[in-house]
Amino acid sequence: MANTKEYIRNKEGSKISKVVVDRDLCIGAASCIAVSGATYELDGENKAIVIDPNAVDDTTLVMSAESCPTKAILLFDKEGKQVFPK
Amino acid sequence: MDKYKYLIVGGGAAGVSAAETIRENDKEGRVGIISDEPYILYSRVMLSKPNFFLGKIPFESVWMKKEDWYKTNNIDFLGGKIAKNFDATAKTLTLTDGTTFAYEKLLLATGVNAREWNVPSAKTADGKTKKGIHYLRTLEDGKGIMEQIKTAKRAITVGGGFISFEMADLLKLAGLETTMLLRESYFWEPILDSASAKMLEDALAKAGVKVIKNAEVAEVLGADSLEGVILKDGTKIQCDMVMCGIGVTYPLEWIKASGVAVQKGILANEFLETNLPDVWTAGDVAEYSDILLEERTIMGNWVNAKEQGRTAALNMMGKKTPFKFVSFYTTSGFGMNIAFVGDASAGPDRVIIPRGSPEINSYARIIAVGKELIGATMINRTVEMNAISKLIENNVDISAKLAELADPNFDLKKLLN
Repeated sequence: MANTKEYIRNKEGSKISKVVVDRDLCIGAASCIAVSGATYELDGENKAIVIDPNAVDDTTLVMSAESCPTKAILLFDKEGKQVFPK
Repeated sequence: MDKYKYLIVGGGAAGVSAAETIRENDKEGRVGIISDEPYILYSRVMLSKPNFFLGKIPFESVWMKKEDWYKTNNIDFLGGKIAKNFDATAKTLTLTDGTTFAYEKLLLATGVNAREWNVPSAKTADGKTKKGIHYLRTLEDGKGIMEQIKTAKRAITVGGGFISFEMADLLKLAGLETTMLLRESYFWEPILDSASAKMLEDALAKAGVKVIKNAEVAEVLGADSLEGVILKDGTKIQCDMVMCGIGVTYPLEWIKASGVAVQKGILANEFLETNLPDVWTAGDVAEYSDILLEERTIMGNWVNAKEQGRTAALNMMGKKTPFKFVSFYTTSGFGMNIAFVGDASAGPDRVIIPRGSPEINSYARIIAVGKELIGATMINRTVEMNAISKLIENNVDISAKLAELADPNFDLKKLLN
């Protein structure tokens, strides 16, 4: 993948073990922040960054990824399989 | 007559987010979405982004749902259909093709239209918009722009808001000679102050966009296709493309005729309920009571539409939930990041706290009423958007914190503890 940033998640009981933000896709719409301000923030380039990959439960994390209008947030499980976008 | 437990008018971010929320909570209730566009949910936000237009992002990524998502979730998608009226007593809604549906709960998430350019010569003799003049609301509009941008040489953007800004960025990146016409005396007046605007105007100028202020078009040249414009002061500008980003209009006739109270948009309380029983509203068209800002407001953006769709759906299912959300909007172009948080309009009762400065190319205006913040405009300070949203949401008393708010090096998160 081109311009991406990966964040390892090791929250107990979680099926998601990695959050990836595609910085080419991210437009800083900040809809992910609306869903989970504890997980994301915008950086100086107006791109989403993950400040705490373990802040929320799986449902909220999936919702935050789903909310992105450019599908710039990708979620992976422990086997490295992409769980969102499907 | 077909009957829906939940009938949604509008297939955009608000409507689909409502349908999704309903389905998460009610697996059985019949859900229908009526959309005047034939397309399933797509990213309206993406339509103005250069990466999308210039093919850096594949076209397919515009689709927000898979084709079969509606079917899999047992949601009827009625695309290319236009609602004509509804009867809140009989609880029926009729389409322009004559079909009538019965409903139990109705959601009006109809969105807004792009305001049309009111220069008479923008239209041909038989009343069509001249070729080369573009608006940006639908995917169809986006396709038209994508097509013309390949061959166009000179473009004008009309308007001093985000559409004009993002389009100018795109046109410039595509190699077109670009002029921006502002009716106002500075960019994004009156939402921004002139100092913030100057930062953006300088960035536009540096990129080679010619910005003409206090400009109004008197005449559009060309018979069927656009050839140029003449301004009221006589200046003639040749162009083969015009992008109009001059605001929105609210298509409310049929809604008003059906008995819904409207003002600028559809009036609603904090539960997004209209004046009629079992009729809700959400998204760009909703003029709702904002309990955080303590005022009636309209917020036209993706994040807000999605959140409102969710809240309206919860209320439609009887889970009384007030809409409580600090809205925000960000955009970027020409190396500048712009963000608006909450209610960013200035007014007589509002105190503006400047943070940073144009000189350091990082400048925010934090807006307070009384002891609390209500909004902010930010240029190249979007990193602080979270903190400011939280200060507004938590009604933090800032009366003794004015110095901290004005200090660009002070970490605003510290005010949250």
